[in-house]
Amino acid sequence: MGSGMSLPSFISKLFGSREVRILMLGLDAAGKTTILYSLKVHEQVTTIPTVGFNVETVSFKNIKFNIWDVGGQDKIRPLWRHYYSGTQGLVFVVDSSDRARIDEARTELHRIIGDREMRDSLLLVLANKQDVPGAMTPQEITEAMQLSKVKDKIWNVQPTVATKGDGLQQAFQWLSDNTKEKK
Amino acid sequence: MALPTTALPFLTRTTSDNTPGPVASGYANGVGVARNPASNSNANTTTNNNRASLSSFPPSSRSASQMSQASRPSRSPQPQAQPQPPTTAVMSEIDRTSDPGSKSKTASTGTAVSSQHSSLSAGPRPYNPASSRPARKLRSQYPRGATENHVEYILVASFDIDRGPVMEHQYPVPITGDEHMLAELMLPDQAHVRNQDWTIFFLHKDSSQEEDDEERRAKDERRQRRRRKQDRAKGIIHESDDEDEDADEDGGYLDEEDDLDDDLSTDSEPEGGEGPPLIYVLNLVNTKQDKTVKRGAVVKAMAICTRHPFLHIYKPLLLLALEEYFKSPVPETLAMLFSAVNEMDLSLMPKLSLLERHLLQASDNRDLFVEKFEQMVQMRIAEDRGEGVPDQPFDASRSPPRRPGIFRSGTKAHIEGHSTYSVPRDTHEFESRVMYKGIPIPIKVPVAIMPETVGDFSLIKLIQTFSEPHGKTPHTFPLHPHLTTNGPNTHPIIVLANALLTQKRIIFLGHNLPSGEVAEAVLAACALASGGILRGFTRHAFPYTDLTKVDDLINVPGFIAGVTNPTFEHHPEWWDLLCDLPSGKMKISSKIEPAPITEGLVYFQQQNPVYAPLVNTSSSSSSSSGAAAAAAAQDLTGDTAFMGDILRSIATRVGERVIRAKWRDWVVKFTRIAAAFEETVYGASALYIGSDEHLETATEGVTKGHGYVWPDDVAKGRELAGNVTRIEGWRNTRSYYSFIQDVAQLYTVRPLKGLDLHHMHDRLRTQRLSPAHSKQIYFAFSNHVHSYDEICLLLSVAPESHAGLFYIALGLFHKERDVRVRTAELLERIAEHEAGQHWWKALSRFEKLAFVRIKREADLRGRLDREGSGIVGAVEGSDGEKRIS
Repeated sequence: MGSGMSLPSFISKLFGSREVRILMLGLDAAGKTTILYSLKVHEQVTTIPTVGFNVETVSFKNIKFNIWDVGGQDKIRPLWRHYYSGTQGLVFVVDSSDRARIDEARTELHRIIGDREMRDSLLLVLANKQDVPGAMTPQEITEAMQLSKVKDKIWNVQPTVATKGDGLQQAFQWLSDNTKEKK
Repeated sequence: MALPTTALPFLTRTTSDNTPGPVASGYANGVGVARNPASNSNANTTTNNNRASLSSFPPSSRSASQMSQASRPSRSPQPQAQPQPPTTAVMSEIDRTSDPGSKSKTASTGTAVSSQHSSLSAGPRPYNPASSRPARKLRSQYPRGATENHVEYILVASFDIDRGPVMEHQYPVPITGDEHMLAELMLPDQAHVRNQDWTIFFLHKDSSQEEDDEERRAKDERRQRRRRKQDRAKGIIHESDDEDEDADEDGGYLDEEDDLDDDLSTDSEPEGGEGPPLIYVLNLVNTKQDKTVKRGAVVKAMAICTRHPFLHIYKPLLLLALEEYFKSPVPETLAMLFSAVNEMDLSLMPKLSLLERHLLQASDNRDLFVEKFEQMVQMRIAEDRGEGVPDQPFDASRSPPRRPGIFRSGTKAHIEGHSTYSVPRDTHEFESRVMYKGIPIPIKVPVAIMPETVGDFSLIKLIQTFSEPHGKTPHTFPLHPHLTTNGPNTHPIIVLANALLTQKRIIFLGHNLPSGEVAEAVLAACALASGGILRGFTRHAFPYTDLTKVDDLINVPGFIAGVTNPTFEHHPEWWDLLCDLPSGKMKISSKIEPAPITEGLVYFQQQNPVYAPLVNTSSSSSSSSGAAAAAAAQDLTGDTAFMGDILRSIATRVGERVIRAKWRDWVVKFTRIAAAFEETVYGASALYIGSDEHLETATEGVTKGHGYVWPDDVAKGRELAGNVTRIEGWRNTRSYYSFIQDVAQLYTVRPLKGLDLHHMHDRLRTQRLSPAHSKQIYFAFSNHVHSYDEICLLLSVAPESHAGLFYIALGLFHKERDVRVRTAELLERIAEHEAGQHWWKALSRFEKLAFVRIKREADLRGRLDREGSGIVGAVEGSDGEKRIS
């Protein structure tokens, strides 16, 4: 997996390659699977609703990101918790154009980060679908998601356009800068 | 949804078991209710009195009586509280070895009935009605006009882009209080990444005690009604309908016969299990990309729910029907499939006794029991002509009158003759068809199904998956006394078998594999550990499950589950053994519960100080780890050699049936060693019955022995030492307890209760016996093995692939003339036996010649005896010369 970008293993070891488990969540149709495959194959893919989950390994600057993308329909959200253990970074994807469900998204986010198993995880909110006219700005998203309340966590908001791949490099740069070396 | 049910001839049901009626609903262990908070809004979880309650999890606690209920696919459960008088003819024997092994030669040498012959014109059979045919009435496995449906429900679910999995239709009626649970199972993880996927899952009917009582009452009523009817026919008029008729003996007698037709209980063979039969669900899910719909795809699944363990026969039908449903997503599409599959006619498939099933399964002979199929057809033709059913059994001396219409299916004569009825090409499979939308779909139904055999899996595939990586770089397992019986390098398949025997939590993980593949692995694992002998695996198997069920799953004590979600690997607290299918690696959980030090283990070590250091316990790791490691290297269990043999057999491309039979031998051996262990350590064992009772057959000397046969005591001590830990681990499991029940139940119906034919045959096979000892065994065989069932029993301990009758035929060359003559008589009986004829044909020319000579001498001798005793001495002399010693 990820053979296109990854280095031969002995070189990776030399440069201290590490693996980081990322959990990508969000309401249904937020763009999680599109982001995953945009990172993986560097081109736009047409996605269909995820039944269950997708998982891919993406290499970025000596770091192997093991990214879990879990289906977001409300009935299957209770399953998210099974993916928490061992997660180093939570990527929460928000459809910035879906103002009607932004409160629902906030509730879900705060439920996730309130879980004991997620206490050591980073939080990256992707304000996706910035290309849609009338989409909320990253600032609006920060407020709507009440991120200022999050005190015990390193967090960030990154505007993205998943279908074009915009913002994803920055997003993963931030993740690799902030994930700690494994002891 | 509501189609006129009258249009469907099979819809009428009589048993309360099938009628989704006002029976107790709800889940014994609360599965489905308030489990998934998000589904609570679903009204289904609240009141559904009109639905049969089904859950994908077995009820957590079962009473003893439920544990021993007979269960059989597609039959109603019979309450244990009604002990059935054993019908004398029906018998069975569980402790035996059988190996279908090499192809039987009889198929090619057979003259009377063989697959080469297009017509079934069997020549006249030798006259010996007592033992050549079973005395019991030949019946159909699925009689015409039976009220049981082949398929009970058809379901359709889809993945709703807003709500996730939802149930769209259920036909003929909704089956469960938690349809959301079903919908989740029908839409396996990652269904969106493949166009098509199969899954299998099981549903447990939640049967409460009241239901059992109800059933018993209903049955009693049926019985009484029937009795009254008979009495009335005889002119006896009852004054009151409520009259207690229990004392009415002559009515009761007839009752039994009447019951034969509709009650499995009179069959008196333990069909075993714990609780009502499972409902097996075969599910097909299709993902269709469709630009015209929101979010670009439609995911739909259709499932067939049946009590037949051979559910794979429905695959072609589901493919057609789901395609049809994409075109017309209406309940009528389900109804059409429902009526098509239920019109499948299996009424000409004969019902075999347990022992006959064993013989058929262990044999590659395509003609074995072909007579029964032929007889079914004869009976049908007679019925069709209105002649009534001829008396059973057929008088074997007269070959039934030839009917021009019966041919072996697929033969030239059959095709040209356009006959209505045919006999299968291979008696292992009954051929039928289902008419779906005017297309005849050929169906092959297995004739003999062993317990715990569900679907079409491959043991060979399972074994290869985990053997190849091990062969390249051997696994090193952390030690666990129950699992690593051959030390850290125990073969993974043995680790798996041990884990199943000792009731561990086992997960098969197949990330990126179709869920059908993990389901297959789970079903294969169940069959591996069962061997058709042990039970309780499929009932706790979850061929495909996912995260939605995990909270319930981990509450099941010991399970076998198939998943595709690699998250399971991150939760070692959920499982004891993880079998990763893509890599072929197994992992023992870091959180596995350590094996307790049990009494049996301590006793064994005290009683056998010589072998104690060989026992592979974790506690001894510090003091005698060296000895234990050495013991592992010595292969005390014989498993290393066994796996070597299995892998060599697979490499030489033997068939699946051979591998299954070898595993069956392994399981039988394990149970017999466990019995010997219990007798050694505890002084008694419930794993074998018949050793110390006063029985119909007085036994003496060598024939008194029973159980597993070792060449000597050292071999016994070492093998027990190698097995102690897993036997002790097995002794508290479901499969152990149900085995004890099966042994007890089988004992009541089996012939030759005081004799362990298997033991005696093993002694002939493995030990050096003095002529006096072997004489006792040959005499025991010839004295006791007469009836049809007794011969079946003897054949089952001497399977064709384990040299067949070779060791018995050695009696033809015994030092003493009496033994030779008696053996010849026994072989004659076997040769006339419906199944035995094939064993007889497989004997070598040398043995047959000896047989003919002995018979001739015996005839001559008999004549001379009548003429006068003077010449006997001369015959004795010539006899001595001919003897081969």
